[in-house]
Amino acid sequence: MANNVKLRQLDDYRWEIPREGKMRTRGLVFASQRMLAKIQEDQSLQQVANVATLPGIEGPSMAMPDIHWGYGFPIGGVAAFNLEEGVVSPGGVGYDINCGVRLLRTHLQKPEVDGRIEELVNTLFRNIPSGLGSRRKDLKLTIPTLREVMRYGAGWAVKNGYGHQGDLEHIEANGRIPGADPELVSDFAMDRGKDQLGTLGSGNHFVEVGYVEEVFDDDIAYQLGLHRGQVTVIVHTGSRGLGHQVCDDYIKVMLKAAAKYGIELPDRQLCCAPLSSPEGKRYLAAMAAAANFAFANRQMITHWVRESFEQVLQMGPKDLGLELIYDVAHNIAKIEEHLVNGKKKKLCVHRKGATRAFPPGHPETPAAYQKTGQPVLIPGDMGRYSFVLVGTEQALTETFGSTCHGAGREMSRHAALKVARGRSIVQELKAKGIIVRGAGRATVDEEIPEAYKDVEAVVEVAHGAGISKKVAKLKPLGVIKG
Amino acid sequence: MTAVPGGPRPIKYRQLSHTADLGLRIWGVTPEELFENAGEALTAVLTDRRRLRLKETEEIAVEAPDLEALLVAWLNRLLYLYDVDAFLGREFQILELQPQFLKARARGETYDPERHLAGTAIKAATYHHLEIKNRNGRWEATVILDL
Repeated sequence: MANNVKLRQLDDYRWEIPREGKMRTRGLVFASQRMLAKIQEDQSLQQVANVATLPGIEGPSMAMPDIHWGYGFPIGGVAAFNLEEGVVSPGGVGYDINCGVRLLRTHLQKPEVDGRIEELVNTLFRNIPSGLGSRRKDLKLTIPTLREVMRYGAGWAVKNGYGHQGDLEHIEANGRIPGADPELVSDFAMDRGKDQLGTLGSGNHFVEVGYVEEVFDDDIAYQLGLHRGQVTVIVHTGSRGLGHQVCDDYIKVMLKAAAKYGIELPDRQLCCAPLSSPEGKRYLAAMAAAANFAFANRQMITHWVRESFEQVLQMGPKDLGLELIYDVAHNIAKIEEHLVNGKKKKLCVHRKGATRAFPPGHPETPAAYQKTGQPVLIPGDMGRYSFVLVGTEQALTETFGSTCHGAGREMSRHAALKVARGRSIVQELKAKGIIVRGAGRATVDEEIPEAYKDVEAVVEVAHGAGISKKVAKLKPLGVIKG
Repeated sequence: MTAVPGGPRPIKYRQLSHTADLGLRIWGVTPEELFENAGEALTAVLTDRRRLRLKETEEIAVEAPDLEALLVAWLNRLLYLYDVDAFLGREFQILELQPQFLKARARGETYDPERHLAGTAIKAATYHHLEIKNRNGRWEATVILDL
């Protein structure tokens, strides 16, 4: 599709969309020259410009190098708004509230699991409900319990025997966004959530067993407890139907609110309300509740990952050493303190397909990572590799402490299915030493490696621009897909 | 526009490519038919509709501020039924359609992974590029789904 958004190159990694028309600020896009041609094919740059028109925006409307066309906000979009005139937009968070990634390390080296991957993958697949409309038959929550989950997040899961206290110190916001109010979550949303806690869902969600293939920064890797050849596990999922419903419910609220507060919208999906309004406050409290559900979800899945490893390898938790390195949210809006023109200011930072990347020494960087910076987890496609990075001071000053979140699709699902037709993707990956189990053939085919940008190119831009720092590269061995 | 007896049936919907997500273009002779076809188009993303039997009936009522928003609300209600009861509609009948309200009946059955094809999961129908228009006497809608 034609794209006539003006663009000015600032350096090797930065491009500016100059402020014009109704834009209140400029756009800032992180990308390499090579990636840009692809980005310009769709409307994502227009979306960056659209976000720049919203009231109370501070700093530029930004896009991380994995930018692609979303709905309303681009995927890979970062935008911060002041609490006085600024807005909060459910479309700036996305339907999968607190979709995120967590990384676990082990005491195992790759040779110890060689030949056992198939069994591990099958066991994970059995223990973690995956796929279209996946639900748990063994765990149906009552409404009061569900409200507890939404109030306490990962802490609820730990309290109920899923994991241990130490896990919480290794989760963004300790696995609980403050200010959650489950009373503001509709019955519809709770209906959808009550038997989906502890399920992976579908689409690009996965659990992946892999190993550290390469270390870029020995010192930081050591402090993160990572070393070459070590077996790792990544969990990628979010708030399931509960989060989707909260988003949909509040988009309806915001469509009315935007009209009520006279906010002009270039796209209905950008609907929003002032952060100071009752509508804005209610959304933030409901979003926090859904985000906490997602934190609990990943925590419970982690518990079943640990159990699956124990079952297959016949080893105890001490010997396995399946410890949480970190858990990041990449679809969220958070109230954070940032320096704006040299002054500390509270802002609502929207990260839609973007990851927080706080530097060493930041009060919100967990104690264990005060010297390294907050770990940032960037999953790639299932055939290539994923990356571990850390946050930097540059990110804090330039992008409100944000960086990329993944590879980003390059091919539509249709195109992917076309390319996959007549091939066995599972066999092809097996030949490359990667065992994949998907709930449905379509999900595996739609997620073929070629459908994604090379995550390495995305990470190179984030690293080169200084908004995060490469630590290690992980290679997949076995994947369960939703 | 009426279909010629024995002639090709007019196309009900088409899937549109969108990098991360999926678009639906839906047609109907009347707004009611447009909404019915939208229901079919949604099910067709989730599974092979032809394998669904007409075993269960769901009565549905949805409200929204305008006709376009009503289309999104209708599709999201169908996704809700799927999430909560694993219900997938094969045939849809719009019983009443106002610009801000609709009443419908969906017939289909509970999703069974043993018998039904697992298609593509949908998070939601969105308002992005949402459009309903009348083109030469035929209704046409565009909806982007978040996958």
